[in-house]
Amino acid sequence: MKREKNWVNYYLQSTSGIVGAVLVLIMITLSLISAFGLAPHDPLEQNPMDALQGPNGTYWFGTDQFGRDIFSRSIDGMRRSLSVALLSVGLATLFGVTLGVVGGYLGRWIDNIVVRTSDVIFAFPAILLALAIVNSLGNSWIDTSVAIAIVYTPIFIRVARGPVLSVKEMDYIKSARVLGYSSPRILGRHIMPNVFAPIVVQVALSLSWAILTESGLSFLGLGTQPPDASLGLMVSEAQALAAFAWWSLAFPSIFITIVVIGLNLVGDGLRDALDPARRSTS
Amino acid sequence: MRDLLSLQGLSIQTSSDKRSLTADVNISLVEGEALGIVGESGSGKTLTALSILGLLPRGVEVVSGEINFNGENLLSLEPERLREIRGKEISMVYQDPMTALNPVMTVGNQLLEVLDYHNHEVKNPESHVRESLIEVGIPDPERALKSYPHEFSGGMRQRAVIAMSLLLSPKLLIADEPTTALDVTIQRQILSLVSKQRSRRQMSMLWITHDLGVVANLVDRVAVMYAGRIVEVGTTKQIFNSPQHPYTQGLLASLPVASSRSRNRLASIPGVPPKPWLVGQSCSFADRCQFVQIRCRESLPLLDARGSKSVACFYPIASST
Amino acid sequence: MTLVIDNVFKKYPIRQSKTVVNALNGISLNISKGQTLGIVGESGCGKSTLARLIVGLESPTQGAITWRDNVLLRGSKNQWRNHLSPAQLVFQDPYSSLNPRQRIGECIREVISAHNLRKKEEIDSRVTELLKVVGISGDMKNRYPHQLSGGQRQRVSIARALAAEPELIILDEPVSALDVSVRADVMNLLVDLRKEFGLTYLFISHDLSMVRHISDVIAVMYLGRVVELGTWDEVLDNPQHPYTKALIAAIPDHSQVGQMDLTVSLEGEVPSPTNIPLGCAFHVRCPIAVPNCSKMIPQLLPIKSSQSVACSEVVK
Repeated sequence: MKREKNWVNYYLQSTSGIVGAVLVLIMITLSLISAFGLAPHDPLEQNPMDALQGPNGTYWFGTDQFGRDIFSRSIDGMRRSLSVALLSVGLATLFGVTLGVVGGYLGRWIDNIVVRTSDVIFAFPAILLALAIVNSLGNSWIDTSVAIAIVYTPIFIRVARGPVLSVKEMDYIKSARVLGYSSPRILGRHIMPNVFAPIVVQVALSLSWAILTESGLSFLGLGTQPPDASLGLMVSEAQALAAFAWWSLAFPSIFITIVVIGLNLVGDGLRDALDPARRSTS
Repeated sequence: MRDLLSLQGLSIQTSSDKRSLTADVNISLVEGEALGIVGESGSGKTLTALSILGLLPRGVEVVSGEINFNGENLLSLEPERLREIRGKEISMVYQDPMTALNPVMTVGNQLLEVLDYHNHEVKNPESHVRESLIEVGIPDPERALKSYPHEFSGGMRQRAVIAMSLLLSPKLLIADEPTTALDVTIQRQILSLVSKQRSRRQMSMLWITHDLGVVANLVDRVAVMYAGRIVEVGTTKQIFNSPQHPYTQGLLASLPVASSRSRNRLASIPGVPPKPWLVGQSCSFADRCQFVQIRCRESLPLLDARGSKSVACFYPIASST
Repeated sequence: MTLVIDNVFKKYPIRQSKTVVNALNGISLNISKGQTLGIVGESGCGKSTLARLIVGLESPTQGAITWRDNVLLRGSKNQWRNHLSPAQLVFQDPYSSLNPRQRIGECIREVISAHNLRKKEEIDSRVTELLKVVGISGDMKNRYPHQLSGGQRQRVSIARALAAEPELIILDEPVSALDVSVRADVMNLLVDLRKEFGLTYLFISHDLSMVRHISDVIAVMYLGRVVELGTWDEVLDNPQHPYTKALIAAIPDHSQVGQMDLTVSLEGEVPSPTNIPLGCAFHVRCPIAVPNCSKMIPQLLPIKSSQSVACSEVVK
């Protein structure tokens, strides 16, 4: 008998999905190299003698005005960006999905509170809200993550609540209630498996937005503080130098672009692979 | 009498993976005649109807065959000429009257637009439209003209759609299950209305349905479709009184007869219809047929014309009359 | 008596338009053990609302639904939350009635294990047995719903209902969404199961020919009330209410070909349940209405021992 195809098989059929996954894996590997201290140079070490060198054999991506290695700083910045993105999206998923599913399933006043609160958060421009929160919380990477998580929680509330509302009305949920199943059982076994797909896709897409937001915050002088490296901060610092040291601006920008494109491709691939309607045609 | 519409060897496939959806469909309709196409879901009846107006959904295309209407092959017409024919000479009524009307436009304006678009010369368009509503039995046409579709009940919406489709006095009306979504008493009203309008206007009609009961007293001839092919064609009387294809016979036997007093076990056809693209060179009904022979699995029975009736079966059931 | 429905009303207030949908307007019915009650009526007659009330998905606005003399469904809502309802539902749409991410064997096993209806070691054989009873072979139990045909899914729904060992199975248009050639199969299965296990059915449909085929007793509903009630042959052979007569006349009948008798059996359409006509709700469409019909709601009164009609012109 032919083995049933699962979503991984469908994902691997998509070229863009594979490209996205490869890009993201490269960035993760580079971050891990930095995390284990295996970067070619110390990202914080200043070598004034080597300041503002173009890309060469010793400094692959060149150096900045303090003679720090831009490659080592870039992969360290990537590590920081990914950490912030993972933590913030993780928190947003945890709270957003819980609130969205509970609100959508229980309805009534609980749902009202959830929806109104997320509407209020939605009403603020994301970056402005994140700025305000970081200002009041502090500048550590955890504070930044919490700020971004608060901004993204309403998105996950919406992504989880919508499918719950429509699945709740399906006859198999009515049937589950008539069969006397408990609410946790109905939620866990009959509703969640059917709202899982859009959430996974949203996680992939939100990771890329979170990286952009973290870069934006650092660029604006919040978030990561010098001398620590962050892709956004590096772009910010490189502004003044870009005219005569293009590499100081180009490489961190390219890193941001690659990881954002990669995560978006992964998100699109997952969307297709997890959609039973698309799968059943093949 | 000459044919108003004739479909010859019409085959429809999906564009991407070349799956056959209908194969070698032949239908002809003389002027003033009403033909019912009966089939279950997936039999290809709706695709056949849509192909006539060039309205096949994206990803599905006619790969061979001809559709001749009044001497013109609709498949090779300029889009301009096809648009002219749609609505003016052939019009269509759909299953769901809500989606057939524009929700943000009054019914009156939608009817006037039809006249306007086709440059239909009438002295007084407003009164022409009003009369068309009276003709389909809409009470208070003045108010109806100013109403939006959502203010109508399902039955009234379908009446409005029929009024719109009759507005330009088409030669052919194609109806795709227009009463399936309606209650039985309303269904009867619509059937009665369509039947009257057809005989008054000498209009031809193609009525697509899954419900044999609906066409029993409505059309002159019936074509039965199964897995993308026509398996039997004949006059309504022949099809209902002496079906020759085992599928037609099985279908009729499986319906409980409302007027009968017996409640015997319903005759049933085992299994489910095959996907048309998986049939190949054998009778598509072979796996479900109680009279199946070796030959049925080895070659494809074709429609064989015997007088006015034909059946695609090697071993047709002997006619009882 | 298994189930008693006593003068039940169900109203749904609509906040935006400040109107009320009167889905059920004083309906009384009894279903005895082993009997099949057929309910027939057009859209808006309240037949599906009644099904939801009986299984406990909703509660009546007024009136009571009683099982074996214990009033269980009066007032308080969600009577059966976390309890197995003694009535189980089979839905119309076989595509939304099964969880798309649950294998069909698991779907049936869950009913049994959640309520400890069988010993652990017996569950497997019970699942196979239930599938076999509805005509699905045991080796299909690892399939997902989308791998089954509409008729097979409807069989799984029936098996799921049977797994709960209910007092009553409510069949809400169980064959309407199926292909014509598959309907007879499912109808035959329902008849066989009833004979084999002595089941009690409430068969709801707009299709009188299906209701006629399976019911012992038929109730004809119009706008939330029963207008005629009787044994199946009485209602069909000798309909008394003008609405029942119109309904019977409107059934497309393939046994009478070529008579071209397409006369309209009933003019007009069902009024909206938000705005039910005063008096007899049917009087606005009724061919035999007299002025008095708009003043008094006719009660369901017996004309024979087993047949009753709610029409003041018939019962005089």
